[in-house]
Amino acid sequence: MSFPPAIRRKFWGRDFSSPVMLASGTAGFGEELLDLQCLSGAGAVVSKAVTFNPREGNLPPRLLETPFGLLNSIGLANPGVYHVVKHLLPAAAGLPCPLLINVAGESVDEFADVVSVLEECSVHIGYEINVSCPNAAEGGAAFGVDPDVVLRVAQGVSKVTGRPFSVKLTPNGGDMVQSAKAAVEGGASAITVCNTFLGMHIDWETGKCVIKRKVAGYTSPALLPLVVARVWQVSNAVSVPVISSGGVSRGEDVLQLLAAGAEMVQIGTRLMRRPFAAGELMDEMKKLTGE
Amino acid sequence: MSAIRDFDCAVKHSEQMLPGVVRIVFDCAEIASAAFPGQFVQIEPSPDAFPVTRRPITINRLTKNGFELLFDVVGRGTELMAEMKPGDMVRVLGPLGIGWAIDPGSSWLLIGGGLGAAGFQFLMDSVVSATVLIGASSSDRVIPLEACHVVTEDGSLGGKGLVTALISEKLLDETDSIAVCGPVAMMEAVWNTIPEKHRDKVQVSTESRMGCGWGVCDGCSIPVSGGGYKKCCQEGPVFPGVEIDWKRWKEAGL
Repeated sequence: MSFPPAIRRKFWGRDFSSPVMLASGTAGFGEELLDLQCLSGAGAVVSKAVTFNPREGNLPPRLLETPFGLLNSIGLANPGVYHVVKHLLPAAAGLPCPLLINVAGESVDEFADVVSVLEECSVHIGYEINVSCPNAAEGGAAFGVDPDVVLRVAQGVSKVTGRPFSVKLTPNGGDMVQSAKAAVEGGASAITVCNTFLGMHIDWETGKCVIKRKVAGYTSPALLPLVVARVWQVSNAVSVPVISSGGVSRGEDVLQLLAAGAEMVQIGTRLMRRPFAAGELMDEMKKLTGE
Repeated sequence: MSAIRDFDCAVKHSEQMLPGVVRIVFDCAEIASAAFPGQFVQIEPSPDAFPVTRRPITINRLTKNGFELLFDVVGRGTELMAEMKPGDMVRVLGPLGIGWAIDPGSSWLLIGGGLGAAGFQFLMDSVVSATVLIGASSSDRVIPLEACHVVTEDGSLGGKGLVTALISEKLLDETDSIAVCGPVAMMEAVWNTIPEKHRDKVQVSTESRMGCGWGVCDGCSIPVSGGGYKKCCQEGPVFPGVEIDWKRWKEAGL
C-alpha cells in the first residue's frame, strides 16, 4: 500500500470513485434515498437488514444518546424478504451506486434461505451477512463469536449464490481474526469490521434502563481507534478486502481507516446527523490529499 | 418523499422566555417558505463531534424572514442551543415531517400540555378560527398565546386543575378539528375524555427520541393501532388520534 491511501478504489472487481459506503440501517433499501440527493459521494449503499419473516422491531425508545455516542436498539425492523423483493428492491434499480443487501437470521439456515429468495433480483451486486445477531436456535450468543458457526453460515450462503458477500463481524466477544478467517474459508469475499459495540445506560436513581432490552448497540466517533485497530488486525490476517464500519465523523477518519487496511469505509451515525455526509467526507478527503 | 435540504441559518434572536425555556429565531427564507404548521427542523447543537445527533424541534411560528423555535432545556444538546447568540451560524435540516391536516375554513380546538403548546402559534396563524386550551404544571410553564383558556395544577395561573376539565361537549360540537400536543399521559387523558363520536376529529403531535429525522434509521417509531409502528419523523409527527396505539405508546414511556 502507498500512503496517503488513494480515494479511488477497486473492490470486488469494480472501480469506485468513493470508498464511502452507507452502512446498513442508515440508508433504508436505498430507494428511500433516491430523491433525497444523499447519494452524491457514496461509493455504495448497504441495505437495512433483511430477515426471512417480517420483524416489527423493538418497542421504543429505540435510541438513547449519551454524552459521547448513541445507543440503538432498533431490533432489525424489516418487512421480511418477500416484501423486500416485491416492493422495495424494484425502486432500488434506479440507484446511482451499487447496492449490497444486508442479511440477518436467527438460525444458521436462515441466512441462506433469505439469500436464496433475494437471488431472483438483479439489483444488487452482493451481500453483507450480519452474524452479530443472536443465534436464537443455538443458545442465543451471536453467530459471529464462534468461528465454527461463522464457517457454517458462510458455507451456507456460498451454496446459494455466486455473488460476492461480506461477513459483518461483531466486536462483542470471540476472536474477530479467527471469525474472519472462518468466514473466508466459508467463501466470504470480504469482511466488514465491525458491528456496534454492546452498550448500556442505567438511570442510577431508579436502576431502570430507558431502552427496554437494556443492552443496545453503541456507536460513536470516539470508537475510531477501536475500529482502526480491528481493521488493521483483520486486514493483516485475511486475503479478502476489509470494509470498515464505525467511528467516522471526518474525512481524515476515512483516510486513516484506508491506511489501516480497509478497502471501503462505511458511515452510519454520521449519516444520520448529516444526510449529505458522503459528499462532505469526499470533499474533505480531496482537500486533504489533493487527489 | 421530497428532497430534504440542509441550511446554514443565522440566529436572529435568542432569549429565555420562561425559566428553562428558550426562544430562538432563525433567519432562513427557504425553510420559512416551505414549512407547514406541525412540521419540525433538526438543529445541530454544535459543529463539534458531540452531540452526535441533532435535536428535533417543532416550528413555533414563522417570522418575517425565517422561523421561531421554543424549547425546554433538558440536556446537553438543548443547553448548547440555549447558548446560541445572534449572528451564530447553525446547521438546520428542514422543514421535516407531516404537520397538521388542515381543511380550508375549518374551525379548530387546540389542546396543549405545557411546552406541548410550542408550535400552536403557527397553526393558529394558519386557520380561520381556533379555540385554545392550555394545561400546565404552573404559570412558568405556560406559553403566552392569544385568547387561550389556561388551567394550572398549582393554580398559579387560571383555574386550578387539569386541561381535561376545560373540554366540554359544546366545544367539541362546535369544532371541526382538534389538535392535541403535550406529554403522552396528558394526551392520553385528553383522548379518553373525548367521546367516541368526536375522535375522528383528533390529531396528535407526537414526540420521540429521534435519530436522523428523515426516515432512514427507524429509531423514532410510534406504536400504531392494529400493530406495528410508524415513523414519528417521516409519517408524523402529527397523526390522526385513531391511528395511535395508546396502550403500547404509554408502555413505551417515551
